[in-house]
Parts: sequence; structure tokens; C-alpha cells
Amino acid sequence: MKRARLLIVDDELIMRESLAGWLQRDGHEVVTAASGEEALIKIKETRFDILLVDIKMEGISGLEVLKNVKESDPDTAVVMITAYGSIQTAIEAIKKGAYDYLLKPFDPNELGVLIEKILENQAQARENLYLREQFKETARFESLIGQSRVMQEIFELIQKVAPLNSTVLITGETGTGKGLAAKAIHSHSPRCHGPFVVVNCGAIPENLMESELFGYQKGAFTDAKTTKKGRLEMAHGGTLFLDEIGEISMRMQIDLLRVLEDKIFYRVGGTQPIEADFRVIAATNRNIQESIKDGIFREDLYYRLNVISFKMPSLKERKEDIPLLAEHFLHRFSQETNKQIERISREAMDEMMLYEWPGNVRELENAIERSVVISKTIAIIPEDLPIIRPDGIFISPDNTLEQIEKTHINRMLCENEWNISVTAKILGIDRSTLYSKIKRYDILKP
Amino acid sequence: MNISPEHKILISPIGNFDAEIIVSIEKGINAIFGFQTRIQPLLDDIGFALDAGRDQYNSTSILKKLESCAPANALKVIAITDVDLFIPILTHVYGEAQLGGKTCIVSTYRLKDSIPVRTGISLPGRIVKEAIHEIGHTFKLLHCKDNLCIMHYCRTEKDVDKKSDHLCRYCKILLDDAIKKLL
Repeated sequence: MKRARLLIVDDELIMRESLAGWLQRDGHEVVTAASGEEALIKIKETRFDILLVDIKMEGISGLEVLKNVKESDPDTAVVMITAYGSIQTAIEAIKKGAYDYLLKPFDPNELGVLIEKILENQAQARENLYLREQFKETARFESLIGQSRVMQEIFELIQKVAPLNSTVLITGETGTGKGLAAKAIHSHSPRCHGPFVVVNCGAIPENLMESELFGYQKGAFTDAKTTKKGRLEMAHGGTLFLDEIGEISMRMQIDLLRVLEDKIFYRVGGTQPIEADFRVIAATNRNIQESIKDGIFREDLYYRLNVISFKMPSLKERKEDIPLLAEHFLHRFSQETNKQIERISREAMDEMMLYEWPGNVRELENAIERSVVISKTIAIIPEDLPIIRPDGIFISPDNTLEQIEKTHINRMLCENEWNISVTAKILGIDRSTLYSKIKRYDILKP
Repeated sequence: MNISPEHKILISPIGNFDAEIIVSIEKGINAIFGFQTRIQPLLDDIGFALDAGRDQYNSTSILKKLESCAPANALKVIAITDVDLFIPILTHVYGEAQLGGKTCIVSTYRLKDSIPVRTGISLPGRIVKEAIHEIGHTFKLLHCKDNLCIMHYCRTEKDVDKKSDHLCRYCKILLDDAIKKLL
């Protein structure tokens, strides 16, 4: 079962504790709240996959908690907990958007099946989102552009490591082009005529990861009507790009380590060993050393991946590339939208140079795309740009990049009334990244 | 915590059990965890945990009591009982463990149900699996999706019969990691 983050809201301590203990043994991360008021505070601080909410509570009721959650984050599943006397209210809650209700005390099997079902539905929705983003990503592969010294060094490094067969670990912030660098290594390697197979470890649900990577044999499980090759097998003769490797579960880390050592694996339900010849490139925006300290990433896997490693610079570290990148995107989006936009005004370019670009090249790309769409003249002007004006944000020389990022994310969220999808789009990051940044910076909804 | 040879996993029966059951648990613990065991009853009476309305015993209360009376050199404590256990939010449990903690408990009450005849399935076999499962939680092992792994959460007695009496290779590695940290 995939691990989830759950919030239990119940005013009875004993109920909260017993349910929390039970769910923790299933591997879930569990937070508890003793009242509706406390729940609303915790919901603002953290995003939860599932809420288990007692209907009858003093003060803010379970139904009010449900209403609030459905307004702020409709993707969160809310399960109402109720006693015999309040079934009618539970049915009312279903009409108002609750996923289901449980009658207490409930059968442990009923709870397990329900949580499994919710997580599978949520994972399916995320996978669909990822597939849509992956489709867009194909258009980005030509954009590893830069004249800055730091990018010239990256290009030289890519040329040097491409002919080797060693594993490469690419680090760097979101939107810096780690995927592009991986693709460039593949394109300049002797494997360039082989496949470049991408696995987004953060987007594929844990319960699907094993069959995605290793494939499955016909009859391995109920839905396995035919034998299917996994991505490892598909990467034979080419490169396997493990994006967001920091998000992979401990179980899959064990499997990956073994595959990296032996290059032999089995399909799910299969008994024949399969050998595949592929090169591995992994990427992450996480601090893996920290993850090792926290016990969520295996040190032995880290050393296996980290044979050659380099960090993609943030856009802030290569501001001199902004005009080149902006012109490139302008040309591309003008063609795509069939609009005659010939240039970026000097004032707009000045603003772009002053801006910090926390979402890096991806944010710049999205900003230009939006500007091209809304522009009414032959040039992009400052008003077309979805970025904060320099007079609207105080950037002290003492500010760290993280402080600036936090301020900017907070501002964007407020400007967009905490609409996560819209804000993520403007920032040039995906929704899950935005949620994790909200959590990391402890940004609270006003 | 540094483990010395005196550190043992305590098997703590509550009430009387067949020697076969206790010996089977000892062997199972030895095979899976590699630690020595000692049989030492710690609780004679668990009346304090009885919920008269439900006619069941609160396993969390029993674990708390066990923790308070466990000797210092007990690495882990597994209690065995024949009464029906519950935690307040659920109708029943086969057992309970303190995740990453010291104590756990397993009940034979529901495991006695529907033992098929002439299949080689025995009550001691079921109890050993569930006892090891609960001890696994005290080593921070979580429920495993592999339905043959002993850490798989069983919804029915049939599931208990179906799962093997050992850890899958993932859980084995995670257990080794957890034990290394204790050394």
C-alpha cells in the first residue's frame, strides 16, 4: 500500500491515538487534531492526502471541517467517522463531498480497503497529470541553452562524461534543466541511437512502480492480461533516466541497488532472469545527504548513483543567459501561437534581469509563453510579464535565495487566492513541488 | 542502545499455554531475529484492560503496563494471551505492537477459528507468524504488500495461513538495517 499523509480529527484522545497507531503500522504518516479548530490550523500548515474526521465535535463540527477542506483543496479525500446515532449526518456529508463514512468502532479490514481505494484513485489522478506534463516536456528538450561561463563548463562536462558508461547524478533546483542535461548526455554518448527512457520516480505511485520498472508476466496479477516490458527492459541499449530519484520508496531503493549492481532483474510474476544493458542517469532537487541522515535514502544506493555528479546552476547564477533564453522562447511561442511578436522591450528585459526566478528556466519559459499569449503589441512589455515588479519586493543583499523564494511563493499564492494549480503554473513548477515548498517554508494561508 | 549478550527477547505468556506454542515461538524468534529468548511471565491479571461493555481487552493498555514492568535487559517483550483484543476505534485486533518500541502482544482468540483439517495448518503455526509479525513492528518494520511476507497485514485467518513464516527480502534488509543500528 502506498504511504500517505493522514490527519485524524477527533475530540476523544483515545480514538485519535488508537487510530493513529494502527495507521502508522501501515506505514502512513499520521497527524492528529483534537478539535475542528486545530484541524483547520493544521490543514493550512500541511497538505494531507486523507482526513479522517469525527462528525460530532464541540466547536467547529466535522461538517464544517469538510466544507473548509473541499474549498481549499478539493483533491484531499475526507472520510467521516460517526456513531450509530449520526448516520443521517454522515449521509449529508457524502452529499457535500466526503469520500465515505465509517461507523465506529470499525472493522480494521474496512478501514484498510477504504484507504487503499482512496490512494489508488489519487495516484491515478497524479499519473494522468504527469503524463500530460511529460507530453509538454518533449518540446523542451531543445532548450539547453547558455553562453554563461557556468553553462559552458556544464557543456564541457557533458561532452566529457557522455562517452563513458558511468552512472551520473545530476542535482539542482527545480526547473534548472536536469532532464535536458540528461538528454544531452545521452545524445552525445555512443548510446545515442538507443532509447532514452524516462522514469519520473515522484509521479509514479509506489504500488505501480515495481511493474513500471520491471514489467510483468501475463497472469502475475488480476489485470495482467498480457506480458508487459518494464522501463528497464525498454532502456536496453540506451539510457535510463531516473528523475526525482530522491522521491523513491525504500523498497524500490533496495531493488534498484540490486539492478544497478547486477543489471539482471525479473519481471513481476516472472521466473526468467532478464539482462538489460543500459546506462543510468539520475536527477534530484533534494539534498540527498540530508535524506540519508533522515533515514529515507539508502547510503549504498547514493554511492552507487553518485559515480559522476554535477549540479545544474540556477537561473540566478547565470543571469547573463536570460536574454538568450527569453529570445529563444519568444521565437518558439510566437510560432506556436501564430502571433507576430518580434521582440522583448528593453524595459521588460530589465525587469527580467532584476527578477530572481525561483522557478528557474521553466518559470522563465512559462512567463514568456504567457506574455506572448496576452501581448497586444509587436513587443513584450513589462505589463505582459507575470513577475513581481522590483518596486514590489524588497530584496536585501543579505537575503538568501530561500528567503526570496519563500517571499515570492507567498506573494504569488496571495495574488492568486491560494489557487494551487494557477500559482504552480505561474511559478513554472508542478503542484506537488509547490505543496512541498509550502510545507518546507511553513507558508500559512492568511 | 548497545546490545549485550544479556539482552534477550522476552516471551511473556498471560495465562497457560501449551509448551508446543511457546517452543514454536522461541524457534521462530531465533530464526528470524537471531536473538536469544527467555520465557518470563510479567502480567498475571489483565482485568485492568477489560472493557465490560465490549467484553474485550484493550491491547494498548496491556502494552503500557508491560512496558512499565519489563526488565531493563529485555530487548523486546512479546506477550501472548487467549483473550479477544481491541483498540478503541476498531472492532478487534489479532495483536498490537509499539512501532519501534519495546513491547507487543498477540492473541490466540481469533486465530483458533476455522483451522482446516488435514492441511498441515496448525494453531502454533498461526501464532508464531503473528508473534513474529508484531515483534517485527518493534524493529520498525511496517506492513508489507507481499502477501507471502510475514509482515503482510492479514485480513483473515486464511491470509495468515497463506503467508510464509519468513520475511521477504526487502523486509529482511530493513530488519538487518534496524538491528545494525542497535549494535
